[in-house]
Amino acid sequence: MVVTREEVKHIGWLAKLEMSDAELQRYTTQIEEIINYLNKLDTIPLEQVKPIAIKKKFSELRKDSPENFEDAVLGTGYRKDGFVKGPRMV
Amino acid sequence: MATTTKIGLEIHCQLTGAKSKLFCRCSSDYRGKAPNANICPICAGLPGTLPLLNQKTVEFAAMITLALGCKFPDEIAFYRKNYFYPDLPKNFQLTQYNAYGITSIGVDGRLEYGNGKDARIRRVQLEEDPGRLVYASGSMDTSLYVLIDYNRAGVPLVEIVTEPDFADTKDVRMFLDKITSIIEHLGVCDTKLEGSVRCDANVSVDGGNKVEIKNISSFADVEKALRYEITRQRTMTSREIQVRSETRHWDDARKVTKESRTKEEEQDYRYFPEPDIPLVMLGSEFVSFIKQSMPELPDTRKERFMSKYGLSAHIAQVLIGNKELADFFESTLMIYLSPKEIANWIVTDLMSFIDERQKKEEEEEEHSLFAGLKVGPEHIADLARLVDQDMINRATAKQILGQIIRTGEMPSALAKRMHASRIDDVSVLAQTVQSVFQMEQAAVQDARRNANVANFLLGKVMKITKGKADPKVALEMIQKKLKED
Amino acid sequence: MPIYTLEAGQVVQGIKSKEFSAEEYISQLFERIEKVEPKVNAFVTLNKEEGLDRARRLDKKIRDGEQSGPLAGVALSIKDNICTKGMKTTCSSKMLESYIPAYDATVIKRLMAAGAIIIGKANLDEFAMGSTTEFSRHGPTRNPWDISRVSGGSSGGSAASVAALECAASLGSDTGGSVRCPASFCSVVGLKPTYGLVSRFGLVSYANSLEQIGPVGRTVSDVVSILNVIAGFDENDHTTTNSSKPTYSLQERKGLRVGLIKEFTEGADPGVSKMIYKAAETLEKQGCKCEEVSLPSVQYALASYYTIATAEASSNLARYDNIRYGFDMNPEGYEWNSYFARARSNFGDEAKRRIIVGSYVLSSGYYGKYYLKAHQVRSLLKREMETLFKKYDVLIGPTMPILPFKIGERIDDPLKMYLVDIDTVVANLTGMPAISVPAGFADGLPVGLQIMADQFAEQTMLDVAYLFEQAAKVQRSPEL
Repeated sequence: MVVTREEVKHIGWLAKLEMSDAELQRYTTQIEEIINYLNKLDTIPLEQVKPIAIKKKFSELRKDSPENFEDAVLGTGYRKDGFVKGPRMV
Repeated sequence: MATTTKIGLEIHCQLTGAKSKLFCRCSSDYRGKAPNANICPICAGLPGTLPLLNQKTVEFAAMITLALGCKFPDEIAFYRKNYFYPDLPKNFQLTQYNAYGITSIGVDGRLEYGNGKDARIRRVQLEEDPGRLVYASGSMDTSLYVLIDYNRAGVPLVEIVTEPDFADTKDVRMFLDKITSIIEHLGVCDTKLEGSVRCDANVSVDGGNKVEIKNISSFADVEKALRYEITRQRTMTSREIQVRSETRHWDDARKVTKESRTKEEEQDYRYFPEPDIPLVMLGSEFVSFIKQSMPELPDTRKERFMSKYGLSAHIAQVLIGNKELADFFESTLMIYLSPKEIANWIVTDLMSFIDERQKKEEEEEEHSLFAGLKVGPEHIADLARLVDQDMINRATAKQILGQIIRTGEMPSALAKRMHASRIDDVSVLAQTVQSVFQMEQAAVQDARRNANVANFLLGKVMKITKGKADPKVALEMIQKKLKED
Repeated sequence: MPIYTLEAGQVVQGIKSKEFSAEEYISQLFERIEKVEPKVNAFVTLNKEEGLDRARRLDKKIRDGEQSGPLAGVALSIKDNICTKGMKTTCSSKMLESYIPAYDATVIKRLMAAGAIIIGKANLDEFAMGSTTEFSRHGPTRNPWDISRVSGGSSGGSAASVAALECAASLGSDTGGSVRCPASFCSVVGLKPTYGLVSRFGLVSYANSLEQIGPVGRTVSDVVSILNVIAGFDENDHTTTNSSKPTYSLQERKGLRVGLIKEFTEGADPGVSKMIYKAAETLEKQGCKCEEVSLPSVQYALASYYTIATAEASSNLARYDNIRYGFDMNPEGYEWNSYFARARSNFGDEAKRRIIVGSYVLSSGYYGKYYLKAHQVRSLLKREMETLFKKYDVLIGPTMPILPFKIGERIDDPLKMYLVDIDTVVANLTGMPAISVPAGFADGLPVGLQIMADQFAEQTMLDVAYLFEQAAKVQRSPEL
């Protein structure tokens, strides 16, 4: 299977990772090699096996009682009037 | 040429009835708090935190599932919907998803609304609300930065997705009213709180492409957004321009739908099951527990109002259409049991005051039905008792209601004061009766043959006395005089 | 013998019996750290002042005759992906270079309550993604047995700090072998508990469905003492098992049935498999019955592991957008997409690769081809293992198929690097417990024996580990 530069670029956009041309080139080669190894999985026929999963009963879920978290939670120094400053939404 | 319109809805209701957030112990009541004062490591997405599913929210979502006639799966899972956005602390949303044999908490339902119409419910799912973005200086386009408040992040939401089963905006309105009444009756969502119910819609006209409309922040705006969008699509179709399949945003300020900046088609949410939340086994024990804990639904309540209180279908429907109204009715009955009389007072008289007030504030956000009206169940009970006991007649009662709704005075107190200024002195009234008998001789003759005409004479007496005559005393005098002469 | 060389159990005894004070012990350790740390580079952050302060308070408690916990005075290093309130937790990443958690991980709370003293945070591969501790922003941790070689990873700092006598024991995390691999490379004991036995609350997630926090020590006994403190249900982690708190002990047991996984020895370097066969002989001499067994689905294990691990990782690492916490980069003026992409370009190479691979296998159209199949392999493997555990009490094999290699040797070949995890990922995929105990040396380099048991059969696994340890008497700490 071939992994193209365009695919890796699109994933870079989805995953919000800025990559230089050189990085893109290097990652494309390496990721193609890795994906080809993972293709091994495609050689086994898909059967209806129940996936391993932790199960809980309704009664084991968290009870609905609110609690305040007293300590400061957010580490960023870019604040204004209690809000967190984020980049422009254009 | 006849056109066909298909509308589907995605309704989000916050589970304001739950005390804590969906996956952490923070309060679900974020309104009016200082920015970022209602957060903890879990809902702020700090490294190392794990989601702790709130039992109550599963119970509430299950109640909605039952109310909408949906089926339960044996177990439910949560999925990560992966996309980046500054209001999402983890840059994925925990939601539910129907894939690979695992479904959300409710699927394949059907809900009747309006006059025998029904809509298919595709699914009911539990998910978390994101934080809130505020544009500091002016608009989104000009500010150098955005302000983020995570207080809302993690508040439990139930999403209800319908099939495209609505043909016009009127149906949509009726359906949304029904949904509102149901979630209010279940006690899961206080729909009066700002932003507690939101709606996305999809529309296609004449079998054309489907357009999604997002960002409609209240039920009241859904009709407006749909009407705008239907007109837009029809205009395009009539000019033989093809409608593109796309996602548009409702611009609340300009009341138009706009193209979105990020193309939904380019997104790839890479859903996969959340490993930190165990599968929750539901099973028959759970379902019977939910059935038992279900409060009365609007349809059942309507039946009860008709069979127990002998109300007409119409009156019962108006009452249950709004939980506040139906509750008001039943609270009034607790004080004074005269169902039909009270239902009439509420549905015809009280509602006309409410409608009048709502018209005045059409553009404002929805709030309590009785806001600004100083009337409670005790007032209506008192009023009904006065009428039942013939203390006042209906006309006077209406007059009284019109006043006490502004003052909050008890009807009996007001009636008493009115009574004090009343002319019930027989000698004073006798003169007036005498003069009416002289003026209306033809009517007097009729009255001797037809007892009902006596009311006409009474009306004349009331007119002359400017309503101050005691109608009961005056009528007695008229009847006596009719026999005498 | 200097007191910093003592095992955890001996430290607790020594302090309780006032043979030495906790303060003396901790100060000696910091002297030792000062001396060897330039060679080893096991620590990211040292907690000297607070550590000494805690030691003094413990000494006072003991003088006052107050109760002290089961780990009273024991000096621990903690892998730097486990949250410590008020103490930096960097995950060896630029993305968290100044991150100070607002809360303690559950395991930290339990260790503190038991009297342990945290002396620092241990180095790791960035976000625990690696098998050598070379992918760390703080530079590689070197193997105390040969500082030109890797310490193993990703809990390289944990294992190296224990082997280099910089602390008594450590906590690591094991997603695909990250506790056992460095334990094997550094000739110490490292244990991965059954999935759900130890709380992950406060462990910075790499691959949630696979990982567990696990102890590293110089003896089986020390590992047991720590496991007894950290194991058990936690209301803050819904994946922990809701049963009564287990207590493990050291017991002599005879006649245990041992299966030697032939795919593991066949795939290993000759020097390594030789040591493993020798280990099997040692166990037989102790009265165990050893037989070769086969685990056919193991051929798919690595592909399954790297699919699931990268998929979960790609999503777990999404939260690092530098808005709520992170390094100093002013968001003003940036368009949000470019701010996120610019900030996130500060992930290291390996983290970026795994984010891309994980996003790839989850992207539309590929889910059934990779992710679903990978889960199918987990079930197949579990079924095969369960069948084997009907016949055998434990399964053994090498922990690592190769000897510790030179720093830099595999760093440019990601796939070659991944292949060294072949023997460890089985335990993570099936959720079963596994331990690495020192088996001896080949060409002067450590070899680890891996012992695996059925779910929640930690006691049986520890019985075999203890039996082997007592018989084999392998050296635990090198000259430095």
